[in-house]
Amino acid sequence: MSQSDPLEKFVRGLLGVLTLLAITLLVVIFGIVFWKGAPVIDWEFLTQASSNFGASGGILYQLAGTVILMAGAVAVSLPVALGTALFQTEYLKSDRLKKLFRNLIYSLNGMPTILFGLVGYMIFGVYLKAGVSWLTGTLILAVMILPTLQVSFQQAVEALPEKYRDAGMALGLSPTAMVYSVIIPQSVFGIITGVLLGLARAAGETAAIMFTATTFSGILLPQTWTDPVPTLQTHILVLAQEALNPQAVAHAWGAGLVLLSLTFILVAGALFCRSKMQMESER
Amino acid sequence: MSFISLVLIAGLFGFLVLQSVPILAEQKWDFLLGRDWWAGEVYGALPMIYGSCMVTGVASLLVLPLALGGAIFTSEFLSAKQRLWVKAMMELFAGITGIIYGLLGVALMAGWVKDSFGLIDGNTILTAGLLLGIMILPTILTLAEDALHAVPGCYRDTSLSLGLTKLQMIKSAVIPQALPGIAGAIFLGLGRAMGETIAVMLVIGGLDKIADPWYDLFAPAQSIASKLGREAAEAIGSGLQWSALMALGLVLFFMVMFLTMVGNLFLKRVR
Repeated sequence: MSQSDPLEKFVRGLLGVLTLLAITLLVVIFGIVFWKGAPVIDWEFLTQASSNFGASGGILYQLAGTVILMAGAVAVSLPVALGTALFQTEYLKSDRLKKLFRNLIYSLNGMPTILFGLVGYMIFGVYLKAGVSWLTGTLILAVMILPTLQVSFQQAVEALPEKYRDAGMALGLSPTAMVYSVIIPQSVFGIITGVLLGLARAAGETAAIMFTATTFSGILLPQTWTDPVPTLQTHILVLAQEALNPQAVAHAWGAGLVLLSLTFILVAGALFCRSKMQMESER
Repeated sequence: MSFISLVLIAGLFGFLVLQSVPILAEQKWDFLLGRDWWAGEVYGALPMIYGSCMVTGVASLLVLPLALGGAIFTSEFLSAKQRLWVKAMMELFAGITGIIYGLLGVALMAGWVKDSFGLIDGNTILTAGLLLGIMILPTILTLAEDALHAVPGCYRDTSLSLGLTKLQMIKSAVIPQALPGIAGAIFLGLGRAMGETIAVMLVIGGLDKIADPWYDLFAPAQSIASKLGREAAEAIGSGLQWSALMALGLVLFFMVMFLTMVGNLFLKRVR
Protein backbone atom coordinates (compact mmCIF):
# COMPACT_ATOMS: atom_id res chain seq x y z
CA MET A 1 0.00 0.00 0.00
CA SER A 2 2.13 2.88 1.22
CA GLN A 3 5.21 1.57 -0.53
CA SER A 4 3.57 1.73 -3.94
CA ASP A 5 2.45 5.34 -3.61
CA PRO A 6 4.47 7.18 -6.30
CA LEU A 7 5.07 10.23 -4.09
CA GLU A 8 6.42 8.07 -1.27
CA LYS A 9 8.71 6.34 -3.70
CA PHE A 10 9.90 9.59 -5.17
CA VAL A 11 10.72 11.25 -1.82
CA ARG A 12 12.40 8.15 -0.55
CA GLY A 13 14.48 7.97 -3.71
CA LEU A 14 15.35 11.65 -3.48
CA LEU A 15 16.52 11.32 0.12
CA GLY A 16 18.57 8.29 -0.86
CA VAL A 17 20.19 10.19 -3.70
CA LEU A 18 21.04 13.13 -1.40
CA THR A 19 22.61 10.77 1.13
CA LEU A 20 24.60 9.04 -1.55
CA LEU A 21 25.71 12.40 -2.91
CA ALA A 22 26.88 13.56 0.53
CA ILE A 23 28.87 10.39 1.09
CA THR A 24 30.29 10.41 -2.43
CA LEU A 25 31.40 14.03 -2.09
CA LEU A 26 33.40 13.24 1.03
CA VAL A 27 34.81 10.00 -0.31
CA VAL A 28 35.90 11.87 -3.45
CA ILE A 29 37.66 14.48 -1.28
CA PHE A 30 39.56 11.75 0.52
CA GLY A 31 40.23 10.02 -2.80
CA ILE A 32 41.74 13.17 -4.30
CA VAL A 33 44.08 13.73 -1.36
CA PHE A 34 45.11 10.08 -1.47
CA TRP A 35 45.58 10.03 -5.23
CA LYS A 36 47.61 13.24 -5.26
CA GLY A 37 49.57 12.58 -2.09
CA ALA A 38 50.38 8.88 -2.30
CA PRO A 39 52.94 9.10 -5.15
CA VAL A 40 55.03 11.55 -3.11
CA ILE A 41 55.14 9.50 0.06
CA ASP A 42 57.94 7.04 0.57
CA TRP A 43 60.34 6.25 3.36
CA GLU A 44 62.64 9.17 2.47
CA PHE A 45 59.72 11.62 2.50
CA LEU A 46 58.93 10.65 6.08
CA THR A 47 62.49 10.50 7.38
CA GLN A 48 64.33 13.39 5.73
CA ALA A 49 64.48 17.08 6.41
CA SER A 50 62.90 19.29 3.79
CA SER A 51 65.18 21.14 1.40
CA ASN A 52 64.92 23.61 -1.44
CA PHE A 53 62.11 25.48 0.39
CA GLY A 54 60.01 22.38 0.73
CA ALA A 55 60.10 21.44 -2.94
CA SER A 56 62.36 18.49 -2.28
CA GLY A 57 63.42 16.35 0.66
CA GLY A 58 60.93 15.23 3.26
CA ILE A 59 58.81 16.36 6.16
CA LEU A 60 60.46 14.75 9.18
CA TYR A 61 60.82 17.93 11.24
CA GLN A 62 57.43 19.28 10.22
CA LEU A 63 55.90 16.06 11.48
CA ALA A 64 57.93 16.35 14.68
CA GLY A 65 56.75 19.93 15.19
CA THR A 66 53.10 18.96 14.77
CA VAL A 67 53.54 16.12 17.25
CA ILE A 68 55.29 18.39 19.77
CA LEU A 69 52.47 20.94 19.61
CA MET A 70 49.63 18.44 19.86
CA ALA A 71 51.22 16.35 22.59
CA GLY A 72 52.11 19.46 24.57
CA ALA A 73 48.59 20.82 24.21
CA VAL A 74 47.02 17.61 25.51
CA ALA A 75 49.53 17.38 28.36
CA VAL A 76 48.54 20.86 29.55
CA SER A 77 44.84 20.48 28.87
CA LEU A 78 44.32 16.98 30.29
CA PRO A 79 44.59 17.72 34.04
CA VAL A 80 42.49 20.88 33.71
CA ALA A 81 39.78 19.15 31.67
CA LEU A 82 39.70 16.16 34.01
CA GLY A 83 39.47 18.40 37.06
CA THR A 84 36.69 20.48 35.54
CA ALA A 85 34.71 17.44 34.42
CA LEU A 86 34.99 15.75 37.82
CA PHE A 87 34.09 18.91 39.68
CA GLN A 88 30.98 19.28 37.60
CA THR A 89 29.86 15.67 37.90
CA GLU A 90 30.91 14.88 41.47
CA TYR A 91 30.89 18.06 43.50
CA LEU A 92 28.68 20.61 41.79
CA LYS A 93 25.08 20.17 42.90
CA SER A 94 23.32 23.24 41.51
CA ASP A 95 21.56 22.46 38.23
CA ARG A 96 21.59 26.08 37.17
CA LEU A 97 25.35 26.35 37.53
CA LYS A 98 25.76 23.06 35.67
CA LYS A 99 23.68 24.45 32.83
CA LEU A 100 25.69 27.67 32.79
CA PHE A 101 29.00 25.82 32.63
CA ARG A 102 27.67 23.55 29.92
CA ASN A 103 26.64 26.54 27.81
CA LEU A 104 29.99 28.20 28.39
CA ILE A 105 31.95 25.17 27.34
CA TYR A 106 29.86 24.80 24.17
CA SER A 107 30.41 28.46 23.36
CA LEU A 108 34.13 28.02 23.88
CA ASN A 109 33.99 25.03 21.56
CA GLY A 110 32.35 27.11 18.84
CA MET A 111 34.81 30.00 19.03
CA PRO A 112 36.75 30.64 15.82
CA THR A 113 40.26 29.32 16.35
CA ILE A 114 41.85 32.43 14.90
CA LEU A 115 40.59 34.38 17.92
CA PHE A 116 42.45 32.00 20.23
CA GLY A 117 45.51 32.73 18.12
CA LEU A 118 45.17 36.51 18.35
CA VAL A 119 44.37 36.76 22.04
CA GLY A 120 46.64 33.86 22.98
CA TYR A 121 49.55 35.53 21.28
CA MET A 122 49.00 38.74 23.24
CA ILE A 123 48.75 36.87 26.56
CA PHE A 124 51.35 34.11 26.20
CA GLY A 125 53.55 35.65 23.56
CA VAL A 126 53.68 39.30 24.60
CA TYR A 127 52.77 39.52 28.29
CA LEU A 128 54.37 36.26 29.35
CA LYS A 129 57.20 36.96 26.91
CA ALA A 130 57.14 33.58 25.20
CA GLY A 131 57.17 35.26 21.79
CA VAL A 132 56.51 33.31 18.62
CA SER A 133 57.37 29.91 19.99
CA TRP A 134 56.27 26.32 20.38
CA LEU A 135 55.42 27.14 24.00
CA THR A 136 52.95 29.84 22.94
CA GLY A 137 51.48 27.48 20.35
CA THR A 138 51.13 24.67 22.87
CA LEU A 139 49.33 26.88 25.37
CA ILE A 140 46.99 28.30 22.72
CA LEU A 141 46.14 24.82 21.46
CA ALA A 142 45.65 23.63 25.04
CA VAL A 143 42.96 26.26 25.56
CA MET A 144 41.45 25.47 22.18
CA ILE A 145 41.03 21.73 22.81
CA LEU A 146 39.86 22.11 26.42
CA PRO A 147 36.15 21.85 25.50
CA THR A 148 36.76 18.72 23.37
CA LEU A 149 38.46 16.97 26.27
CA GLN A 150 36.11 18.17 28.96
CA VAL A 151 32.91 17.26 27.12
CA SER A 152 34.25 13.76 26.39
CA PHE A 153 35.31 13.21 30.01
CA GLN A 154 32.05 14.50 31.36
CA GLN A 155 29.98 12.30 29.08
CA ALA A 156 32.05 9.29 30.12
CA VAL A 157 31.59 9.96 33.83
CA GLU A 158 27.89 10.66 33.45
CA ALA A 159 27.45 7.39 31.55
CA LEU A 160 28.84 5.30 34.42
CA PRO A 161 26.25 2.81 35.71
CA GLU A 162 24.71 3.89 39.00
CA LYS A 163 25.60 0.58 40.63
CA TYR A 164 29.32 1.42 40.64
CA ARG A 165 28.64 4.50 42.69
CA ASP A 166 26.26 2.59 44.94
CA ALA A 167 28.89 -0.06 45.55
CA GLY A 168 31.49 2.60 46.32
CA MET A 169 29.17 4.36 48.74
CA ALA A 170 28.22 1.09 50.41
CA LEU A 171 31.93 0.58 51.10
CA GLY A 172 31.95 3.98 52.78
CA LEU A 173 34.27 5.70 50.29
CA SER A 174 34.72 9.45 50.64
CA PRO A 175 34.00 11.48 47.49
CA THR A 176 37.73 11.79 46.82
CA ALA A 177 38.39 8.09 47.29
CA MET A 178 35.41 7.45 45.04
CA VAL A 179 36.94 9.58 42.28
CA TYR A 180 40.32 7.88 42.48
CA SER A 181 39.28 4.28 42.90
CA VAL A 182 35.95 4.13 41.08
CA ILE A 183 35.22 7.02 38.73
CA ILE A 184 38.57 7.47 36.98
CA PRO A 185 39.41 3.78 36.50
CA GLN A 186 35.91 3.01 35.24
CA SER A 187 35.77 5.87 32.76
CA VAL A 188 39.21 5.26 31.29
CA PHE A 189 37.87 4.58 27.78
CA GLY A 190 36.04 7.89 27.84
CA ILE A 191 39.22 9.65 28.89
CA ILE A 192 41.17 8.03 26.07
CA THR A 193 38.40 9.00 23.62
CA GLY A 194 38.68 12.63 24.70
CA VAL A 195 42.47 12.61 24.49
CA LEU A 196 42.42 11.16 20.97
CA LEU A 197 39.82 13.67 19.76
CA GLY A 198 41.81 16.49 21.34
CA LEU A 199 45.00 15.30 19.63
CA ALA A 200 43.16 15.14 16.31
CA ARG A 201 41.84 18.66 16.72
CA ALA A 202 45.23 20.06 17.68
CA ALA A 203 46.95 18.20 14.85
CA GLY A 204 44.87 19.85 12.18
CA GLU A 205 44.77 23.36 13.57
CA THR A 206 46.50 25.96 11.46
CA ALA A 207 44.94 29.39 11.98
CA ALA A 208 45.75 29.62 15.69
CA ILE A 209 49.42 28.70 15.31
CA MET A 210 50.49 30.05 11.94
CA PHE A 211 51.64 33.41 13.28
CA THR A 212 52.18 32.46 16.91
CA ALA A 213 54.22 29.28 16.99
CA THR A 214 55.68 28.30 13.67
CA THR A 215 58.49 28.94 11.27
CA PHE A 216 58.90 27.79 7.71
CA SER A 217 62.61 27.26 7.75
CA GLY A 218 65.71 27.82 9.86
CA ILE A 219 64.79 25.70 12.84
CA LEU A 220 64.49 21.94 12.87
CA LEU A 221 63.83 21.03 16.47
CA PRO A 222 63.27 23.59 19.22
CA GLN A 223 66.32 24.01 21.46
CA THR A 224 64.83 26.45 23.95
CA TRP A 225 61.39 27.25 25.34
CA THR A 226 61.01 30.16 22.97
CA ASP A 227 61.94 28.61 19.63
CA PRO A 228 59.29 28.34 16.94
CA VAL A 229 58.83 25.00 15.19
CA PRO A 230 58.04 23.99 11.63
CA THR A 231 54.72 22.13 11.40
CA LEU A 232 52.93 20.07 8.77
CA GLN A 233 49.97 22.44 8.71
CA THR A 234 51.95 25.59 8.02
CA HIS A 235 54.23 23.67 5.64
CA ILE A 236 51.18 22.81 3.53
CA LEU A 237 49.94 26.39 3.81
CA VAL A 238 53.16 27.80 2.36
CA LEU A 239 53.62 25.16 -0.32
CA ALA A 240 49.99 25.32 -1.45
CA GLN A 241 50.50 28.91 -2.47
CA GLU A 242 53.49 28.09 -4.69
CA ALA A 243 51.22 27.58 -7.68
CA LEU A 244 54.08 28.03 -10.17
CA ASN A 245 56.19 25.28 -8.69
CA PRO A 246 54.55 21.88 -9.34
CA GLN A 247 57.17 20.15 -7.22
CA ALA A 248 56.21 22.25 -4.19
CA VAL A 249 52.50 21.63 -4.73
CA ALA A 250 53.17 17.90 -5.03
CA HIS A 251 54.95 18.01 -1.68
CA ALA A 252 51.99 19.89 -0.22
CA TRP A 253 49.73 16.99 -1.23
CA GLY A 254 52.14 14.52 0.30
CA ALA A 255 52.22 16.43 3.57
CA GLY A 256 48.42 16.77 3.34
CA LEU A 257 47.96 13.01 3.06
CA VAL A 258 50.24 12.44 6.05
CA LEU A 259 48.27 14.96 8.12
CA LEU A 260 44.96 13.49 6.98
CA SER A 261 46.09 9.96 7.84
CA LEU A 262 47.22 11.15 11.26
CA THR A 263 43.83 12.70 12.07
CA PHE A 264 41.93 9.72 10.62
CA ILE A 265 43.88 7.30 12.80
CA LEU A 266 43.25 9.42 15.89
CA VAL A 267 39.53 9.84 15.20
CA ALA A 268 39.12 6.15 14.31
CA GLY A 269 40.82 5.29 17.60
CA ALA A 270 38.44 7.61 19.41
CA LEU A 271 35.42 6.00 17.74
CA PHE A 272 36.68 2.57 18.75
CA CYS A 273 37.21 3.64 22.37
CA ARG A 274 33.79 5.23 22.50
CA SER A 275 32.13 2.02 21.32
CA LYS A 276 34.03 0.19 24.08
CA MET A 277 32.77 2.74 26.57
CA GLN A 278 29.18 2.27 25.45
CA MET A 279 29.46 -1.50 25.79
CA GLU A 280 30.87 -1.00 29.26
CA SER A 281 27.99 1.21 30.39
CA GLU A 282 25.39 -1.20 29.03
CA ARG A 283 26.66 -4.05 31.14
CA MET B 1 38.13 24.69 38.55
CA SER B 2 35.03 24.80 36.40
CA PHE B 3 35.28 28.51 36.45
CA ILE B 4 38.14 28.18 34.01
CA SER B 5 35.69 28.06 31.10
CA LEU B 6 34.09 31.25 32.41
CA VAL B 7 37.50 32.86 32.85
CA LEU B 8 38.54 31.84 29.34
CA ILE B 9 35.42 33.20 27.62
CA ALA B 10 35.44 36.37 29.70
CA GLY B 11 39.17 36.76 29.13
CA LEU B 12 38.84 36.33 25.39
CA PHE B 13 35.99 38.82 25.25
CA GLY B 14 37.61 41.30 27.64
CA PHE B 15 40.85 41.23 25.74
CA LEU B 16 39.21 41.83 22.41
CA VAL B 17 37.22 44.73 23.85
CA LEU B 18 40.26 46.24 25.53
CA GLN B 19 42.42 46.02 22.46
CA SER B 20 39.79 47.41 20.13
CA VAL B 21 39.30 50.57 22.21
CA PRO B 22 41.86 52.67 20.27
CA ILE B 23 40.28 52.11 16.88
CA LEU B 24 36.72 52.48 18.17
CA ALA B 25 37.66 55.71 19.92
CA GLU B 26 39.25 56.99 16.74
CA GLN B 27 36.61 56.02 14.21
CA LYS B 28 33.49 55.27 16.29
CA TRP B 29 30.64 53.90 14.15
CA ASP B 30 32.60 54.53 10.97
CA PHE B 31 34.56 51.44 11.83
CA LEU B 32 31.51 49.22 11.51
CA LEU B 33 29.93 51.06 8.61
CA GLY B 34 33.02 52.07 6.66
CA ARG B 35 33.48 50.47 3.25
CA ASP B 36 37.21 51.06 2.86
CA TRP B 37 40.15 49.45 4.59
CA TRP B 38 43.51 51.01 3.84
CA ALA B 39 46.09 49.95 6.41
CA GLY B 40 47.56 53.08 7.96
CA GLU B 41 44.71 55.38 6.90
CA VAL B 42 41.18 54.18 7.36
CA TYR B 43 39.64 51.00 8.69
CA GLY B 44 36.14 49.99 7.63
CA ALA B 45 34.76 46.61 8.64
CA LEU B 46 31.67 46.41 6.43
CA PRO B 47 33.24 44.54 3.47
CA MET B 48 34.53 41.84 5.82
CA ILE B 49 31.20 41.51 7.64
CA TYR B 50 29.52 41.23 4.25
CA GLY B 51 32.08 38.64 3.13
CA SER B 52 31.58 36.49 6.23
CA CYS B 53 27.80 36.53 5.78
CA MET B 54 28.02 35.75 2.07
CA VAL B 55 30.32 32.74 2.33
CA THR B 56 28.32 31.37 5.25
CA GLY B 57 25.10 31.89 3.27
CA VAL B 58 26.44 30.14 0.16
CA ALA B 59 27.75 27.29 2.31
CA SER B 60 24.37 26.82 3.96
CA LEU B 61 22.54 26.77 0.60
CA LEU B 62 24.83 23.97 -0.55
CA VAL B 63 24.96 21.99 2.66
CA LEU B 64 21.37 22.06 3.92
CA PRO B 65 19.68 19.83 1.32
CA LEU B 66 22.52 17.31 1.47
CA ALA B 67 22.90 17.28 5.24
CA LEU B 68 19.19 17.23 6.08
CA GLY B 69 18.25 14.78 3.33
CA GLY B 70 21.14 12.60 4.43
CA ALA B 71 20.14 12.84 8.08
CA ILE B 72 16.51 11.87 7.44
CA PHE B 73 17.46 8.98 5.17
CA THR B 74 20.12 7.68 7.57
CA SER B 75 17.88 7.87 10.61
CA GLU B 76 14.62 6.63 9.10
CA PHE B 77 15.42 4.35 6.19
CA LEU B 78 18.74 2.68 6.89
CA SER B 79 19.22 -0.44 8.98
CA ALA B 80 20.97 -0.14 12.34
CA LYS B 81 24.20 -1.48 10.91
CA GLN B 82 24.19 0.76 7.82
CA ARG B 83 23.40 3.71 10.04
CA LEU B 84 26.45 3.08 12.22
CA TRP B 85 28.60 2.93 9.10
CA VAL B 86 27.33 6.27 7.86
CA LYS B 87 27.79 7.81 11.31
CA ALA B 88 31.35 6.54 11.67
CA MET B 89 32.18 7.83 8.22
CA MET B 90 30.78 11.27 8.98
CA GLU B 91 32.76 11.48 12.21
CA LEU B 92 35.91 10.57 10.33
CA PHE B 93 35.23 13.14 7.63
CA ALA B 94 34.46 15.78 10.24
CA GLY B 95 38.11 15.33 11.23
CA ILE B 96 39.40 16.62 7.87
CA THR B 97 40.87 19.98 8.76
CA GLY B 98 40.72 23.41 7.21
CA ILE B 99 44.20 23.28 5.71
CA ILE B 100 43.33 20.16 3.68
CA TYR B 101 40.26 21.93 2.27
CA GLY B 102 42.42 24.96 1.63
CA LEU B 103 44.86 22.86 -0.38
CA LEU B 104 42.00 21.33 -2.36
CA GLY B 105 40.62 24.79 -2.94
CA VAL B 106 43.84 26.38 -4.15
CA ALA B 107 45.12 23.47 -6.18
CA LEU B 108 41.86 22.28 -7.74
CA MET B 109 38.58 23.94 -6.94
CA ALA B 110 39.55 27.50 -7.83
CA GLY B 111 40.58 26.20 -11.23
CA TRP B 112 37.32 24.31 -11.70
CA VAL B 113 35.23 27.33 -10.77
CA LYS B 114 37.28 29.48 -13.13
CA ASP B 115 36.90 27.09 -16.06
CA SER B 116 33.25 26.16 -15.55
CA PHE B 117 32.06 29.74 -15.31
CA GLY B 118 34.57 31.31 -17.69
CA LEU B 119 36.06 33.64 -15.09
CA ILE B 120 39.40 35.42 -15.09
CA ASP B 121 40.10 34.33 -11.53
CA GLY B 122 38.72 31.35 -9.64
CA ASN B 123 39.11 32.89 -6.20
CA THR B 124 35.54 33.96 -5.48
CA ILE B 125 32.81 34.01 -2.87
CA LEU B 126 31.32 30.96 -4.58
CA THR B 127 34.56 28.97 -4.30
CA ALA B 128 34.92 29.75 -0.62
CA GLY B 129 31.24 29.00 0.02
CA LEU B 130 31.39 25.65 -1.78
CA LEU B 131 34.47 24.64 0.16
CA LEU B 132 32.91 25.64 3.48
CA GLY B 133 29.70 23.82 2.61
CA ILE B 134 31.55 20.54 2.07
CA MET B 135 33.55 21.19 5.21
CA ILE B 136 30.57 21.52 7.56
CA LEU B 137 28.50 18.82 5.84
CA PRO B 138 29.57 15.88 8.06
CA THR B 139 29.09 17.86 11.28
CA ILE B 140 25.56 19.03 10.45
CA LEU B 141 24.56 15.65 9.01
CA THR B 142 25.61 13.66 12.05
CA LEU B 143 24.20 16.12 14.64
CA ALA B 144 20.86 16.44 12.80
CA GLU B 145 20.73 12.67 12.52
CA ASP B 146 21.26 12.40 16.28
CA ALA B 147 18.25 14.66 16.80
CA LEU B 148 16.04 12.60 14.47
CA HIS B 149 17.18 9.32 15.94
CA ALA B 150 16.49 10.52 19.48
CA VAL B 151 12.75 10.84 18.78
CA PRO B 152 11.20 8.08 20.92
CA GLY B 153 9.81 5.05 19.11
CA CYS B 154 6.36 5.51 20.62
CA TYR B 155 5.73 8.53 18.39
CA ARG B 156 6.54 6.42 15.37
CA ASP B 157 4.40 3.49 16.53
CA THR B 158 1.45 5.74 17.30
CA SER B 159 1.55 7.44 13.89
CA LEU B 160 1.86 4.15 12.06
CA SER B 161 -1.00 2.62 14.03
CA LEU B 162 -3.13 5.62 13.05
CA GLY B 163 -2.63 4.52 9.46
CA LEU B 164 -0.11 7.16 8.43
CA THR B 165 2.35 6.19 5.73
CA LYS B 166 6.01 6.22 6.63
CA LEU B 167 6.51 9.53 4.87
CA GLN B 168 3.55 11.12 6.65
CA MET B 169 4.92 9.79 9.93
CA ILE B 170 8.31 11.39 9.29
CA LYS B 171 6.74 14.65 8.23
CA SER B 172 4.18 15.03 10.98
CA ALA B 173 5.65 13.14 13.94
CA VAL B 174 9.41 12.72 13.68
CA ILE B 175 10.57 16.00 12.13
CA PRO B 176 8.50 18.31 14.38
CA GLN B 177 9.87 16.51 17.43
CA ALA B 178 13.43 16.71 16.17
CA LEU B 179 13.22 20.25 14.82
CA PRO B 180 14.98 22.02 17.72
CA GLY B 181 17.87 19.57 17.51
CA ILE B 182 18.09 19.96 13.75
CA ALA B 183 18.09 23.75 14.04
CA GLY B 184 20.77 23.52 16.72
CA ALA B 185 22.92 21.39 14.43
CA ILE B 186 22.53 23.89 11.59
CA PHE B 187 23.44 26.91 13.71
CA LEU B 188 26.50 25.21 15.20
CA GLY B 189 27.64 24.24 11.71
CA LEU B 190 27.15 27.76 10.40
CA GLY B 191 29.10 29.17 13.35
CA ARG B 192 31.95 26.88 12.42
CA ALA B 193 31.77 27.99 8.79
CA MET B 194 31.82 31.63 9.77
CA GLY B 195 34.94 31.22 11.90
CA GLU B 196 36.94 29.09 9.46
CA THR B 197 40.10 30.91 8.50
CA ILE B 198 42.54 28.89 6.47
CA ALA B 199 40.31 27.31 3.84
CA VAL B 200 38.55 30.61 3.16
CA MET B 201 41.72 32.68 3.24
CA LEU B 202 43.24 30.66 0.43
CA VAL B 203 40.35 30.85 -2.04
CA ILE B 204 38.28 33.96 -1.37
CA GLY B 205 40.49 36.34 -3.34
CA GLY B 206 41.32 38.68 -0.49
CA LEU B 207 39.68 41.83 -1.83
CA ASP B 208 38.24 44.10 0.89
CA LYS B 209 35.27 45.21 -1.20
CA ILE B 210 31.56 44.65 -1.37
CA ALA B 211 30.81 43.12 -4.77
CA ASP B 212 28.73 45.10 -7.20
CA PRO B 213 25.95 43.99 -7.30
CA TRP B 214 26.20 42.60 -3.79
CA TYR B 215 24.83 39.18 -4.78
CA ASP B 216 27.57 38.63 -7.38
CA LEU B 217 29.00 35.30 -6.22
CA PHE B 218 31.76 35.36 -8.82
CA ALA B 219 33.47 38.35 -7.24
CA PRO B 220 36.46 38.12 -4.92
CA ALA B 221 35.83 39.25 -1.35
CA GLN B 222 37.21 38.97 2.17
CA SER B 223 35.71 37.42 5.31
CA ILE B 224 36.55 38.60 8.81
CA ALA B 225 38.43 35.41 9.59
CA SER B 226 40.42 35.51 6.35
CA LYS B 227 41.31 39.16 6.95
CA LEU B 228 42.58 38.29 10.42
CA GLY B 229 44.54 35.37 9.03
CA ARG B 230 46.16 37.47 6.33
CA GLU B 231 47.06 40.55 8.31
CA ALA B 232 47.68 39.33 11.85
CA ALA B 233 51.29 38.45 11.17
CA GLU B 234 52.23 41.84 9.68
CA ALA B 235 50.42 43.99 12.26
CA ILE B 236 51.27 41.83 15.21
CA GLY B 237 50.99 43.29 18.67
CA SER B 238 50.78 47.03 18.30
CA GLY B 239 49.46 50.02 16.42
CA LEU B 240 46.11 51.11 15.11
CA GLN B 241 46.03 48.34 12.50
CA TRP B 242 46.34 45.73 15.25
CA SER B 243 43.59 47.42 17.18
CA ALA B 244 41.41 47.41 14.06
CA LEU B 245 42.06 43.69 13.61
CA MET B 246 41.14 43.04 17.23
CA ALA B 247 37.92 45.00 16.72
CA LEU B 248 37.21 42.82 13.68
CA GLY B 249 37.83 39.84 15.94
CA LEU B 250 35.31 41.26 18.40
CA VAL B 251 32.71 41.55 15.63
CA LEU B 252 33.40 37.92 14.67
CA PHE B 253 33.11 36.94 18.35
CA PHE B 254 29.64 38.49 18.51
CA MET B 255 28.50 36.96 15.21
CA VAL B 256 29.66 33.46 16.10
CA MET B 257 28.46 33.79 19.69
CA PHE B 258 25.02 34.72 18.36
CA LEU B 259 24.89 31.63 16.14
CA THR B 260 26.17 29.39 18.95
CA MET B 261 23.72 30.81 21.47
CA VAL B 262 20.77 30.33 19.13
CA GLY B 263 22.02 26.82 18.42
CA ASN B 264 22.37 26.02 22.13
CA LEU B 265 18.94 27.40 22.84
CA PHE B 266 17.46 24.94 20.38
CA LEU B 267 19.65 22.06 21.48
CA LYS B 268 18.77 22.62 25.12
CA ARG B 269 15.11 22.06 24.36
CA VAL B 270 15.98 18.62 23.05
CA ARG B 271 17.85 17.42 26.08
